[in-house]
Amino acid sequence: MTSRPVIIGAGVNGLATAFYLAKAGLRPLVLERSERIGGAASTRELAPGVRVPDLTHAVGPLRQDVADAMGLASRGVQWLRPAVDSFTPGADGRALVLPRDPAAASAAIGEFSARDAARYPEFLRELGSIGAVVSGLLDEIPLSIDSPTTGELWRLLQIGRRFRRLGRQQVFRALRWGPMPVADLLTDVFDTELLRATFCTRGVFASALGPRSAGTAAALILEAARQPSSPFAPVFVQGGPGQLASAMAAAATAAGAEIRCGAAVARIDVDDSGVCGVALSNGDRIATTTVVSNADPQRTLLGLVDPVRLEPDVILRIRNYRARGTLAKVNVVMNGLPSFAGLKRLPAGLTPEAALSGRILIAPTIDDIERAYDASKYGQWSAKPWLECVIPTLTDSTLAPSGTHVLSIYAQYAPYRLREGSWAEARGAFQQAVLDRVSEFAPDLPSRIVLTETITPADLEATHSFTGGHIHHGEMALDQLFIMRPTLGWAQHTTPVAGLFLCGAGTHPGGGVTGANGAHAAKAVIAHNRKGSRA
Amino acid sequence: MPYDVIVIGGGHNGLTTAAYLARAGRRVLVLERRHVVGGAAVTEEVFPGFHFSECSYVVSLLRPDVIRELDLARHGLEILPLDGTFTPMPNGDYLWRVNDHARTRREIARHSAVDAEAYDEYGRAMVEMARFVKPILDLTPADPLSLKPRDLRQLAFLGRRFLQLAPGDRYNLVQLMTMSAVDFLDQWFETDVLKATMSASGIIGTFLGVRSPGTAYVLLHHYMGEIDGAFRSWGFARGGTGAISNAIAAAAREAGVEIRTNAPVAKVLLEHGRATGVVLENGDEIRATIVASSADPHRTFFGFVGREHLPTEFADDLSHYRYRGSSGKVNLALDGLPDFTCLPGPGPHLRGAISISPGVDYMERAYDDAKYGRFSKRPYIDVVIPTLTDPSIAPPGKHVLSCFVQYAPYHLRGSTWDDERERFGDTVIDTLSEYAPNLKSLILHRQVLTPLDLEREFGLTEGNIFHGELSLEQLFFLRPVAGWAKYRTPIRNLYLCGSGAHPGGGIMAAPGRNAAIAVIGDQR
Repeated sequence: MTSRPVIIGAGVNGLATAFYLAKAGLRPLVLERSERIGGAASTRELAPGVRVPDLTHAVGPLRQDVADAMGLASRGVQWLRPAVDSFTPGADGRALVLPRDPAAASAAIGEFSARDAARYPEFLRELGSIGAVVSGLLDEIPLSIDSPTTGELWRLLQIGRRFRRLGRQQVFRALRWGPMPVADLLTDVFDTELLRATFCTRGVFASALGPRSAGTAAALILEAARQPSSPFAPVFVQGGPGQLASAMAAAATAAGAEIRCGAAVARIDVDDSGVCGVALSNGDRIATTTVVSNADPQRTLLGLVDPVRLEPDVILRIRNYRARGTLAKVNVVMNGLPSFAGLKRLPAGLTPEAALSGRILIAPTIDDIERAYDASKYGQWSAKPWLECVIPTLTDSTLAPSGTHVLSIYAQYAPYRLREGSWAEARGAFQQAVLDRVSEFAPDLPSRIVLTETITPADLEATHSFTGGHIHHGEMALDQLFIMRPTLGWAQHTTPVAGLFLCGAGTHPGGGVTGANGAHAAKAVIAHNRKGSRA
Repeated sequence: MPYDVIVIGGGHNGLTTAAYLARAGRRVLVLERRHVVGGAAVTEEVFPGFHFSECSYVVSLLRPDVIRELDLARHGLEILPLDGTFTPMPNGDYLWRVNDHARTRREIARHSAVDAEAYDEYGRAMVEMARFVKPILDLTPADPLSLKPRDLRQLAFLGRRFLQLAPGDRYNLVQLMTMSAVDFLDQWFETDVLKATMSASGIIGTFLGVRSPGTAYVLLHHYMGEIDGAFRSWGFARGGTGAISNAIAAAAREAGVEIRTNAPVAKVLLEHGRATGVVLENGDEIRATIVASSADPHRTFFGFVGREHLPTEFADDLSHYRYRGSSGKVNLALDGLPDFTCLPGPGPHLRGAISISPGVDYMERAYDDAKYGRFSKRPYIDVVIPTLTDPSIAPPGKHVLSCFVQYAPYHLRGSTWDDERERFGDTVIDTLSEYAPNLKSLILHRQVLTPLDLEREFGLTEGNIFHGELSLEQLFFLRPVAGWAKYRTPIRNLYLCGSGAHPGGGIMAAPGRNAAIAVIGDQR
């Protein structure tokens, strides 16, 4: 008789794992440290009647099979897909708007360059077809390189065959693109600086690299793998990302999982045969032989497990796992829409509200992003950060009273480790730098601001328990992906501790609100239990 | 009488291809644009009595097979050891690593006891990985999409070898292939100057900084020389780097190769899509069954062949192949030896490499300048004084000091290299003088080679010393263009035998040898 599995953390992945384990009849118990579920996907009331996306403003998109299995549609989850992917204002007062419809986007690009207008749909198509094959890799638990099973090799062969079917040209392109700097790739493809910079932001988002660092192009391919049909289209949830977490929690509970909030796990107890229980910070102890951790790999293995239970080699590797966040979040409540430069010359049929309904990117040139990155290399926050802004109230009227708007800003680079001073001291100045940067392109912003809050990487570590304040639970760099996430040999959601599994963004296929990690981890746990019961 | 093979370019790779083909019975003609052979592996008397190895100045990975098979020792090749790396620091301290492991360990312990411990383990791990990677240099890269038994066999061979590595080494290897040099070294060491000096080898020939992924694997090169057993890691050729080319040329001539200098090629002759010979700039036509070009891919295909004769996809891919030279050379004729403040006197520390790489931030800031189209205000400089090892290359009592300088981006913003050349030279000398204040008073002559000069004088497109950046997406089966990494080209009977082919630049002679093997294989 196996004991009831314990899941540490009720983030999106923890909830997905809980659901799948519950469906398999394992009656999991989810222990959430805070009073709120959802982890990075939560909605919070910042001012009376005004709800903001605490962190994540765009979701994944969540994998369709996970959404279907959990019956999220019937639980009230409504996906919002804005008509516009992105709006990037330039220094000269013009702005590049990319509607979701490729033909309309092409027409908008045509205002800048006819050549780029022709290339844009082609580029999306190519990226999409490469992404469609790579998505095969994201859908699977990475194979074991020490002892691959026949099934794993067979699946790999299938993916290999799909790759070959792309045609030589495409395959080679994919192999060449992956390790490239995203700036080089975009400079190869497009002439328009605003367009290049727009895509470069996707290559460096949440990363500790700049657009000229090698390997950043891989992030574009990963993005395309999640959503081959329209790689860069943001997806929102009606009512904010917290709505998604609530629906997932409801699905897990209905399937037989139990979720306890305010239950902080202080320790994972391990004996000679593996996991034997968890101890809560209030002193309670829960016996179990299976623990699935939604916490990041470092917090789980270095923070919750007694180090004597781990080989020094493993400790060293996990310690070397890079998870130093570079993102800060700034949430602004406004008493009206700011007037961004470039809104006066919009493509036909696009209202200013629609133009601003996707991602608003304050990143007019590659050099601007690169310079923002330069500061972080020397342990300073960017004086002119690049920003990914969303005004969720434009697509979702339920978030705030009419006339009130929310500006949700991801600001990069805000390195976790500052060389001088602490984030507590730097918070105010950085917030001002962010608002100033937005104001350069929307001069009336200051007069619109009702309330601002800034969540620094230090806050992310303290309040959300992200080690290093990294929202993806660790760098999504080439050496920390696929069979190497979190580390080579332990990429199958298992850990060196028998009975301890990982299900968070620090596992394959990495961060972003996709639910894939959770679904894979549940599979790994179930397969493990089956093997155990046979033995 | 027609030739079997014409080799374009008399650099070390072109000469190697020629020598191997002549030894296989082919009648071979080498056409060299300049008045001397050697290409970038050349030594010339630039100022009376002073012989400068103008471009390439040290040798580390010359394939032992080539040394043995072409009997280069008999043809005058002698490699003298270059012992150690000396890094002066602005705070008056220094880091001086030598080939003697125990001494280096003690020296590192002076900076950090932990690092001294780690240095042993690091060395062991790197040798294991170098053992794995080294055979790849001598392979013709397999096509990963091919189902031909040959390609599959090679891929299986690599896969099997990978699985034979101990799990720890496997982990290290995967990291090395994907990480940045600094991130990789951060896992082992804490001493800033040690990490900076080691990481420097990762950026040479690239337009990347030491923190950019993909720069770690070059750290292996340092260890590959050692296990070849031919010489320990780095060395000088007696008489200068040109002596290597001269030895290969001698071996080639002995095998019957004809070498013509001052014979610049203008075009590759094409008939029905096949190469049938070349036209010289003076209009002479020379025919041959095979043409092998050791010029870089840009000059070969866009210069000698012409875009109109190339398949569109190939030409497109080739136009995305990146050169972007990022380094320059400053060669000095000196009246005496520089005196370093941190370790005065003419000690043995001057006999090895002197590395101006005092910290990781220093390296990064040097790169930051280049990103925005300026040469580094305070560059990374790799200095050697070959006259301490080989006095024959300068008048008695005088010295040659060679500086490899990075970053010097080919594309300057808002200026030209013709305007910046002397300022660039001054910057290098000013930087060195901060550590060796007497340097300025010793200078008799100076030669400044900017990336533009490397392009004009040595035919290196955009001044890239490796015939194209050595970055991950331009290596192995992707070099120079995916699908065309086996020395063959879309033009029948035209082969690529220079550093723009696998395994890339440096004085390895591996592309030259591999290309000759490909030619012979195809004719069989």
